[in-house]
Amino acid sequence: MHKNKQMDGFSYYDIFATKGLEYVIIIVFLLLLIPFWLILNKESGMTKKNQTALGILSARILRIPQGLFYSKNHTWMFIEKAGGAKVGLDDLLLHLTGKVKFTYLKNPGETINKGELLAEIDQNGKLLRIFSPVSGKIMDTNRLLNNSNGMLNEDPYGKGWIYTIKPSNWKEDTNSCYFGEDAINWSAKELERFKDFLARTTTNYTPETAMIVMQDGGELFDHSLSSLPNEIWKDFQKEFLEFDS
Amino acid sequence: MNNSADPVAKENEPKFNWQFFFNELKPRGKWLTPFNIISIPIILLGLFLIVIRFWKGLGAITNLTQEVPWGLWIGFDVVTGVAFAGGAYVVTFMVYILNMKNYHSIVRVTVLNGFLAYAFYTGALLLDLGRPWHVINPMIGNSFGTSSVLFLVAWHFLLYMFAELIEFSPAIAEWLGSRRAHKILSGMTIGAVIFGITLSTLHQSGLGALYLMAKDKIHPLWYSEFIPIMFLVSSIFAGLSMVIFEGTISHKVFFNRISEKNNKAQNGIIHGLSKICAVTMFAYLVLQFVVFVHGHNWNYINTPMGYWFLLEMIGFVSIPMILFFYSYRTGHIFMIRLAAILTMIGVVMNRLNVTIIGFRWDAAVHYIPSWMEIVVTLAVIFTEIWIFRWVINRMPVLGDSPSWAKENV
Repeated sequence: MHKNKQMDGFSYYDIFATKGLEYVIIIVFLLLLIPFWLILNKESGMTKKNQTALGILSARILRIPQGLFYSKNHTWMFIEKAGGAKVGLDDLLLHLTGKVKFTYLKNPGETINKGELLAEIDQNGKLLRIFSPVSGKIMDTNRLLNNSNGMLNEDPYGKGWIYTIKPSNWKEDTNSCYFGEDAINWSAKELERFKDFLARTTTNYTPETAMIVMQDGGELFDHSLSSLPNEIWKDFQKEFLEFDS
Repeated sequence: MNNSADPVAKENEPKFNWQFFFNELKPRGKWLTPFNIISIPIILLGLFLIVIRFWKGLGAITNLTQEVPWGLWIGFDVVTGVAFAGGAYVVTFMVYILNMKNYHSIVRVTVLNGFLAYAFYTGALLLDLGRPWHVINPMIGNSFGTSSVLFLVAWHFLLYMFAELIEFSPAIAEWLGSRRAHKILSGMTIGAVIFGITLSTLHQSGLGALYLMAKDKIHPLWYSEFIPIMFLVSSIFAGLSMVIFEGTISHKVFFNRISEKNNKAQNGIIHGLSKICAVTMFAYLVLQFVVFVHGHNWNYINTPMGYWFLLEMIGFVSIPMILFFYSYRTGHIFMIRLAAILTMIGVVMNRLNVTIIGFRWDAAVHYIPSWMEIVVTLAVIFTEIWIFRWVINRMPVLGDSPSWAKENV
C-alpha cells in the first residue's frame, strides 16, 4: 500500500493508491458542510443583536408595537383613554434618516386637518415634511423633544411622541391606517420599496454609487438616507410621505 | 486628548506647508510608557546588531549555515508576517467588491497594517541577503531570473506595496488637507483594490511555492505539493485573526482616536469576522486531511514530529475553529478574541514548521536561531508598531474623515 522508492533523496509514491479514500473524504466534507452551515446561520437572538450592532436595517429590527395605528406617511397614532390621540413618527422613517432635528409647525389650540403639514424634520439642511394622520385640535406638544433630539430616535413610540391631538373624526381617519399584523407586513413591504427606490434614485444623482446594485441579498444600511444628497430626500418625500387618502 | 493640535480639525488647511509637517514629526504624549521602556532598548540593540551584520557578515550574528540558509528572519518575519498581512486583501475584497459596507470602518487600519507589515518584513529580507544590493536585479532586468519563484514574489511584493499605499493614500491626503490629491487618489482606490487582491492571492501562495523546491528538506507532514494552496487558505483566517486581535488592542490603546460610530460597530465587525474564520478553517482542516491521506502520512503520526503535527492541527486549528463557531452562535466576543489568539499561534506554528522546525528536521545539528536573530526580529516588529502608532495618532484611520473629504469624492 505504501511503496516509497528512494531516489536521490526524493521519494515517490503511488498517487492513485488513496484516490478512493480522498473521494470519500470530500463527500463527507460536503455532507458535513450542510449542517455546519445551517447551524452557523440558524436564526438566533444574536442575529438581531448583531444586525443592530452592524447597522443593518432589516424588517426584523424594526419596532412596531401593537395597538397603534400606522399611517401611510410614516406617522403613528394612539388613541388614549382620555380621548386624545398621541401622534409620532414611525421607527422605519427614523431608521432611514438617522438623527434629525425636529421643528413644530403647529401650536396647542390650533386645528389641523388630516393630510395637512404638521411638522418638519431636518438633517443638515435636508428637509422632510410630516403630514398629519388625523384631523382635530392640537392639545399639547412634547416638551422633552425640544431639549434632547435623541429621544425621537431612541423611543419613537414612547417619550418620542410629538403631538397630542383631540381627534374630530378618528374612526374615518384611521380607515386608511394599518393596524396589528397588517402594520408589520406593510413595514416589511415599505422596506423593500425603499430598496427599489434607492437603486433607482441613487443612479440618477450620484454616478459614483451606480455600482451599488442591491441584489436579493443586498442588505440595507441603517441611516441610509443620511449620506444621500438633498435631491434624493425630495424624492423620498414625494414617494413615501405624501398621500392624499 | 490632543485634538486641539489635530490637523484633521483644521479642515480648511489649503496647502501643504513644511512647518506643519515637521511639527507632526515630533512625538506626542507621555514618553515613559511601559511599551516604550521595553521597546526602545530592544530597537537600539537591534540597530547595533544590524550594523554588525553588515560589517562582519551574516555569520557574525546568525546561526545560519550552507545547509540552512533561511532562518528566523525569513521564516518568521517574511513568511509569517505576510500571512498575517492577509487581512488587507480579505477586508478590501469584502468592502469594495462584495460591497459589505458594514466593514468599511476597519478598511483603513487593516490596509495600513498590511502595508507596514509588507514594508518592514520584506525590508527585513534585505538583512538576510548576502549581497543585499542585488535585490534590485529582478526589477531592473540585470538578470530577471524569471525561472525562480522569487522573481514572482519580488515583483508581487513591490507592486502590492504600491497598491496598498494607494489604497491608504486618501488618509494621507486628508491628513495634509490636500483636496486635489484626495480626489485623484480616492478615484484610484477601486483599481488598486482589484489589482491588490490579484497580487495577494498569487503571492500568498507564491511564498508557499518557494518551499516546493525543498521537498527533501521539509518533514513530509508539512511538505506536500499543495503548500501554496494551504498558505493561501490559511492566510485568510490568519489575516482576519490579526484584524480581530489588532482591533481589540487598538480599541484599548487608541480609544481617543476612534469615532463613536466606529466604536459601536466594533463588536458587530468582530462577530461577523468570526463566521468567516470558522468556515475557512473548516475548509482548511479538510484540505489538510485530504493532503494527509494523499501523502500516506499516517506512517509519521506516531513519532515526536507526528505529535507536534497533531498539536498544531487539533490544538490550534480545530479548537479555535470550534470556538469561532460556538462564539459566533452565542455572540461571545471574548471567546472570539481568544479564538483569534489561538489561531495566530497556530499560524505561527505552521509557518515555522515549514520553514524552520520541520526544515532539515533530520539533520544532526538542528538550526536554532541565535539570540541576536531574535532581538533583530523583535526590533523590526517594535519599529513597525512605532510607525503604526505614529500614523494612527495623526491621520484619520480609526476615526472619521474630515467633512470636506466626504463630499470630495
